[in-house]
Amino acid sequence: MRLRSVLIVASLLLVAIVLQTTLFSQTEVFVPDLVMLVVIILSLTRLRPEAVLGIAFLGGLAVDLLGSSVLGLRAMVFTIVAYLALRTRERADLGRVVIGLWAGLLTLGGVLLLLIVGTLFGQTVLLGDGVVGLLLLVPAANTILAWIFAPMVARFVDRDTTAFRYA
Amino acid sequence: MLSRQPGDRTVPTLVTLLVVGVLLMTFDVRSQGQGVTSVLRSGTQTIVAPLQKGAAFVVNPVLDLIDSLANIATLRETTIALEREVAELEAEIIALDDDMARLEFYEQLYDLETTGTDVGRTVAEVIGRPDPLDNALIIDKGTNEGIAVGQPVVDTNGYVVGSVQQVTSGTARVIPITVGADGVAVTVGEQLGVVTPQINDNILRLEVNPAREPVLAGEKVVTSSQSVRFPAGYPVGQVIVDAAPDGAGTLSTLVEPYMNPDNIRVVVILAWPPDPVAPVTETTTTTTSTTSTTLGGSTTTSTTGGDG
Repeated sequence: MRLRSVLIVASLLLVAIVLQTTLFSQTEVFVPDLVMLVVIILSLTRLRPEAVLGIAFLGGLAVDLLGSSVLGLRAMVFTIVAYLALRTRERADLGRVVIGLWAGLLTLGGVLLLLIVGTLFGQTVLLGDGVVGLLLLVPAANTILAWIFAPMVARFVDRDTTAFRYA
Repeated sequence: MLSRQPGDRTVPTLVTLLVVGVLLMTFDVRSQGQGVTSVLRSGTQTIVAPLQKGAAFVVNPVLDLIDSLANIATLRETTIALEREVAELEAEIIALDDDMARLEFYEQLYDLETTGTDVGRTVAEVIGRPDPLDNALIIDKGTNEGIAVGQPVVDTNGYVVGSVQQVTSGTARVIPITVGADGVAVTVGEQLGVVTPQINDNILRLEVNPAREPVLAGEKVVTSSQSVRFPAGYPVGQVIVDAAPDGAGTLSTLVEPYMNPDNIRVVVILAWPPDPVAPVTETTTTTTSTTSTTLGGSTTTSTTGGDG
């Protein structure tokens, strides 16, 4: 990764973390997981897959360090989500709506994984109050944000104005 | 457009990172969040805190405005209810003034001194929460304002919220009683018990052992004088299910906390115990009685090992 890419990715993650912990932590209906979304969108770019996995791990670790749950939980889950995104990204490149739905599905998988791994480490339970709400609201919010912003962010990171242009 | 496929090194990288992740989790669980991980958390929070404060400065008024617009229909009813409440509280203040005057008279009469009963309070704004699955609260006051790990936190109504888990120079992280790992020693009626959080649930579990009499729905649960985490008498919640002692003399029921961590915007941090450096044996003298309370362990250095 070149210095410019490093700066852009670091800035994106920082903005995502700050918005996640301030603005979107106080909204009740629109509750995206911005850091997970950034990781998913970065898998659409021309960054090296290993770099995307590393970014996902560090992004998750940063959220873990700011939160109260066990260290490494989100780092691990975001890395898996990034890997799944890298493996399936060709199928998303069909249009804005498809990209949104793809990001939403990956987010759903990520939230499920968070709940499962969290349950194993005593951080949460799969059948608790509000779990169904989270499983619906977080992917829905990420779907909308990916539909709006994913192509733009990918173009910005790659400095390729022709990428993800759909008729 | 998307020409690059995951190469041969993707899987080894994934496996390596997953192994590191599991090791981190294991290390964090085994060290109970202390030591290196605690330093890392403080460092990260210190770096991000100025940005969070800046964002909260912009975001909170906007969210308040949206809240106000959403609640505009009920504004008139709320105003009337608040006016009624103010009138009641003013009457209470007058009655309390009378009591205070009488108290001062008796203190002078019997030459009594009150010691160790004043609890310092710091008001802080909630500037954020880590993510949708994490109910911790990030507040805008830290060690610069005298906040220390383990200090109890209540809301503006005096209802118990939780305690400070992590503190940096300008911010602190508060763990609500509904999500923390520790219980809180409480009093329900004349009986002593412990309320403990249930994972992914805002309802607390109350255990009373030994239990002498049944506990009824609607009974008020307040912090106990035996608590090492909270000063006595602060409201925690109310019992929502009737329960009677079983054959072994224990009682278990559910308590709905008065506070809701999702709606809290402002909290009050209590500087308690008043002398955190040496919380050994504290003798409190009041005008009506004298009690000796032994407080175990320093609550300013660790949040592990709660009342329960």
